[in-house]
Amino acid sequence: MPLPPSIYHLSSSHLRLDGRRWNELRRLTAQISTQASADGSSYLEMGNTKVLCTVTGPSEGKGGGRRGDEDSMSVDVRVNVAGFAGMDRKRVGRGDRRITELQNTISSAFSSTLFTHLYPHSTISLQIHILSLDGSLLAASLNAATLALIDAGVPMRDYLVACTAGLTPPSGRGDGDDMDPLLDLNGSEETEVPFLTVGTGGAGGGDVGGGGGWV
Amino acid sequence: MPREAEPSINERAFILEALQENIRLDGRPLDAFRELHIAFGEEYGVADVQLGKTRVLCRISASIASPYPDRKFDGIFTITTELSPLASPAFEVGRQSDLETHLSRVLETTLRRSQALSTESLCLIAGQKVWSLRADIHILSHFGNLIDTSCIAALAALRHCRIPDTSIKGGVLIVYTPLERDPVPLALLHHPLCITLNYFESGEKMLVDATLQEQQCSEGEIVVSANPQGEVCLVQKGGGGEVDALVLLRGIGLAVGKVREVGKVIDRVLEEDAKRRDKGGVVSRELRAENER
Amino acid sequence: MATKTLVFPGDIISPEVLPIPTNPSLPLKLGPGLRHVPPSTITSTLAGPLCIDRKKNAIWVENNTGRYIPQPNDLIIATVHHSSTDIYHCSITPHTAFAQLPQLAFEGATKKTRPQLNSGSLIYARILSASKHTDPEIVCYNPSTGKSEGMGELKGGMLFDISMAMARRLLMHKQKADGGIALLEEIGGKVAFEIAVGRNGKVWVKSGGVNETLLVGRALQETDTQGLGIEEQVKVVRRLMRQV
Repeated sequence: MPLPPSIYHLSSSHLRLDGRRWNELRRLTAQISTQASADGSSYLEMGNTKVLCTVTGPSEGKGGGRRGDEDSMSVDVRVNVAGFAGMDRKRVGRGDRRITELQNTISSAFSSTLFTHLYPHSTISLQIHILSLDGSLLAASLNAATLALIDAGVPMRDYLVACTAGLTPPSGRGDGDDMDPLLDLNGSEETEVPFLTVGTGGAGGGDVGGGGGWV
Repeated sequence: MPREAEPSINERAFILEALQENIRLDGRPLDAFRELHIAFGEEYGVADVQLGKTRVLCRISASIASPYPDRKFDGIFTITTELSPLASPAFEVGRQSDLETHLSRVLETTLRRSQALSTESLCLIAGQKVWSLRADIHILSHFGNLIDTSCIAALAALRHCRIPDTSIKGGVLIVYTPLERDPVPLALLHHPLCITLNYFESGEKMLVDATLQEQQCSEGEIVVSANPQGEVCLVQKGGGGEVDALVLLRGIGLAVGKVREVGKVIDRVLEEDAKRRDKGGVVSRELRAENER
Repeated sequence: MATKTLVFPGDIISPEVLPIPTNPSLPLKLGPGLRHVPPSTITSTLAGPLCIDRKKNAIWVENNTGRYIPQPNDLIIATVHHSSTDIYHCSITPHTAFAQLPQLAFEGATKKTRPQLNSGSLIYARILSASKHTDPEIVCYNPSTGKSEGMGELKGGMLFDISMAMARRLLMHKQKADGGIALLEEIGGKVAFEIAVGRNGKVWVKSGGVNETLLVGRALQETDTQGLGIEEQVKVVRRLMRQV
């Protein structure tokens, strides 16, 4: 993919477009118990990505659910991208494949982290609202969901913490040695650089790899 | 009331016991593919891939459309997957399952977002006319490893596909019939393939091309897309058991080797198909050389 | 199965091939693939060899396609899916409705001694009743004698899929003469194993080790998919034996 080299001043000034160094995160602030009505809730900002997550449950599955999933809890994830989240006002439909994939990824990540076998016949639902979108969507959603689940007091093996990492394209001079790793990509970097979202448990070596891009 | 066939306790235990001795049910080594059979249709752009008993058909169709207003220089390339009850009792009509979303997203990342097919090359007149390419992937039978099989089918079909040649004279777009000019192949920048690895014993054992039963018994799966040059396009491991980061690296190394192997098979089959179609002799070869862009 | 005529759908079965009943009071039985058009025409609805059993005065078309449809008195291998108060709900094939296995339908089972089966356990059972409109009912004992007769939970071992025709052949009384199967005897001479065949296209095999169990399973599947004759079966067994 031909990339406009102007985006990367990394080699000359060692600073990214927003003034960060390669290994610097954006400002991270988080709150828990923001929503009084939910069983657990959290609000997380990673730079300009702002995510609100609420947890309901574990509660009895509605409509009987599918038989066969009865011996463990199912994790239901809804991601809602607000119309004002991006640069231009856009409605993201529920059927959007990217959103469905995001939901599935978060759901399967937590299915293996939470002690789902403690709650047979039940469902826990996570509602994730994206208020402002500027890259690292999956990482921010996972972090917010972890906080909300901690707030709700759901037993889990480990905290699931995620971050994105990218790699700048080679400048063409060297043999790939001048490719710089980047941590916590923002929206504009995400469109230009191949990246990976990694989620790990705090102590163990678990992980959730997502996404991709071309190297 | 059809549903997915879940393996029984006995089968699960036996598969795991056999794996401890590095034995797979069908006698393959842990890192071997099932028998891969690729056939092309009479027309260009149709590939029928059989991997063991799993079978996937991919068809590429092209039409001329107007581009999206925000992407004036890019052609349109869509990938659709169809999981019908024909393939497995677990698939329902109408409802999009998690597997289907997963499959189509992986294929899209592998083939489209990795720029394997350059959408810019599909542009005919900027902002007005572009090729709209569609890859329809039909799952005909599901005995495990749908992702790899679908990806092989899609890539083989893309590499086999020919679209009509066009030219612009005085602002008028001319599309040539196959009789006037030979259709041209698509501009593929590289040839990525997906390899799904199912792991056991927290990543100690990794299976390539797992069957449905092995898939159901595994702790989780890692999907790696790479091209034969060894460049990685996608690494995905959503959920499943925890593995060490080094396992991922080992998996990627393993997958790249497999991509090369499968890539060679596709190369060979394409060559055989080209030989079969090349009935012309010297005259047609020279004509083709002229038309090659 | 001395005479084999090949029939196609719509063929009229000529009266000459019909068996002459040994006992005149025994009515002629039509099996799968045949249809009686009154007054006295018999046509086939499937393609395949026509099979005749003179002793039972029965006639049917052998056909190796289609899914398993539960029939009374068939022996099947089912998986326990879930249990309710006194019934185990079992899956015979993914396509059929769950079969009901009463928890007391085991040899010598009482409220206190009934077997505890987890979901995912394999059972060898006989179909008691099956119809289009109700869930099939299965039992793990012979209701007339109260004996298990080999039925019940299958512990350990491995399940292999085979075609339904293969399952029928394996269940024949004279396996070698009628079914054309010699491989089980051949393997049995060298390796000890247990086997249970279900009409729903499943074979359960248990043997000393992983390799031995797989040997039996693979030999069965190869014979099935490649349609091997008796001599070829012996060859396959010898080849697989060498690998173990």
